[in-house]
Amino acid sequence: MFKPLNKTLNFSILMLFTLLPLLAGLGYAIAYSFGLVGVLNKGFTLENWKILFSTSEVYISVLYTSWLAFASLSICIFISLAVVLAFPKKFKSGIFSYLVYMPLAFPSIVAAFFFFQFLSNAGILARLCHQLGIINQISDFPNLVNDSYHIGIISTQTFLSLPFFILLYASLYQAEKLEDYQKLAYALGASKKQTIFKISIPILLKRSLPSIIIYFIFKLGSYEVPLLLGKSSPETISVLAVRKLQKFNLLDIPQGYAIAVIYAFLVLLLLFIAFKKSKHQYEV
Amino acid sequence: MKYSIKYFILLMLALVFTLPIAILFLLSFSQKWVFPKLLPEKLTLENWTVILGDGHVISNSFVISLSIALFVAGSATILGFVLSRYIAYHPKRRLLTFLTYFPFALSPVIFAICLKYYFIKLGLIGNLYGIVLAQLIIALPYSIIFFLSFWNQKVLDYQNLVYTLGGKQKQAFLYITLPLAKSFLVICFFQCFLISWFEYGLTSIIGYGKISTLTIHVFQFINEANIFYAALSCCLLILPPVILLWFNKRFIIQQKG
Repeated sequence: MFKPLNKTLNFSILMLFTLLPLLAGLGYAIAYSFGLVGVLNKGFTLENWKILFSTSEVYISVLYTSWLAFASLSICIFISLAVVLAFPKKFKSGIFSYLVYMPLAFPSIVAAFFFFQFLSNAGILARLCHQLGIINQISDFPNLVNDSYHIGIISTQTFLSLPFFILLYASLYQAEKLEDYQKLAYALGASKKQTIFKISIPILLKRSLPSIIIYFIFKLGSYEVPLLLGKSSPETISVLAVRKLQKFNLLDIPQGYAIAVIYAFLVLLLLFIAFKKSKHQYEV
Repeated sequence: MKYSIKYFILLMLALVFTLPIAILFLLSFSQKWVFPKLLPEKLTLENWTVILGDGHVISNSFVISLSIALFVAGSATILGFVLSRYIAYHPKRRLLTFLTYFPFALSPVIFAICLKYYFIKLGLIGNLYGIVLAQLIIALPYSIIFFLSFWNQKVLDYQNLVYTLGGKQKQAFLYITLPLAKSFLVICFFQCFLISWFEYGLTSIIGYGKISTLTIHVFQFINEANIFYAALSCCLLILPPVILLWFNKRFIIQQKG
């Protein structure tokens, strides 16, 4: 009697706090985008989706968001691999084992604020360049925030992700016994370059692939950093969806929900791939 | 030569990790910083004494953020611990884990705009209850996923041993499961605390501008170009995680970036 009741209760709470909000939220967004609910909607229609896909805004937004996530993750993975392979034991003990955690203490909004102060025209880097005689006035310094190359966003995203990947690769280095593989490769006559590029990096990348996909998903949903450091156009998916839904034009609301639906399905697809790639049970 | 390059890389890494905190604290003690001066012209304690004074909006929002984060962390940890056990030993573990991961992987701000209608209908927009519930909806999946690694075969074997020796469910929980889970519970509590403490997008939508948490104030100060108060609010935001880091590094590692 006790166990089935417990199971029913557990299942109900799980549904109430995780699956119900998800299904209800997505269901409402889908219904709104197809004109089934909402103030100005008058019944089922594909009009909102047609309007959305008639302009390039949503395509550009998806590509732009994916590009930002890809660029920041690629830089981050490159630096993390280089650092861990150069200093495999540096992050296990000593001062660096503490310092590496520092960026994890930064919420996205704080990191975005810091990088704005650091990279903007009147920021610390510009002042340093002025002191060194590289520039003479504010306008001489290139735009590094709210810029066309998205340097501000990519730098901030890289800073926020770097500790996670350094710690991930440092622990994989130990767990996968890379040191033993390297010794074996040297004993069989491999050069240092071959050992790094043919053994260490492929093993680390393969083992970290599910984490990379999950992190890519998180970056797709990034909101505060592109909001503060991005340009008004193009916008990331989150910023575009919130703008369409929060501004005063009621006719934009169904399109805002349609963008949310596209994003949710993109996340679902990537999550499915991450789970397929992970042979073990997926855990944090 | 080879060693000097290695030391240079390490020095750069140390700078990348420490410079942001140092600069934010420096700005929080500043009042005048005109281009092209490298350092602020006036350093003072005035910003801190004014903002942390009795009744100031920042000190109030610090208390609000702290209360929300503590409640969300406590609730998410307890519920996550119980629910994760249900998922861990369920025949459809992989499917349930996948379904739990989905709300956690979604952008909180997009999740919030999808749920906003229901929060309005339930009268939960623009009040503390709404923010707590909304944050719980994103912290709980994290907590469940976190505890899944705890419920392994070893824990199950220990519990079964207690039952075999005549122990009851309550005894197995109090004397076996709870001591084994102690460090997991503490780490999960602090990580859920940080999820709530760092949250901006979801809080701004469900809070509807009526509940001012610290992250909301940071954004307001940035919009007003009040960089010294913004830096001070940032320092207040990063202070708890830095203190947690001092006690235990594992308290602050989270996947979501």
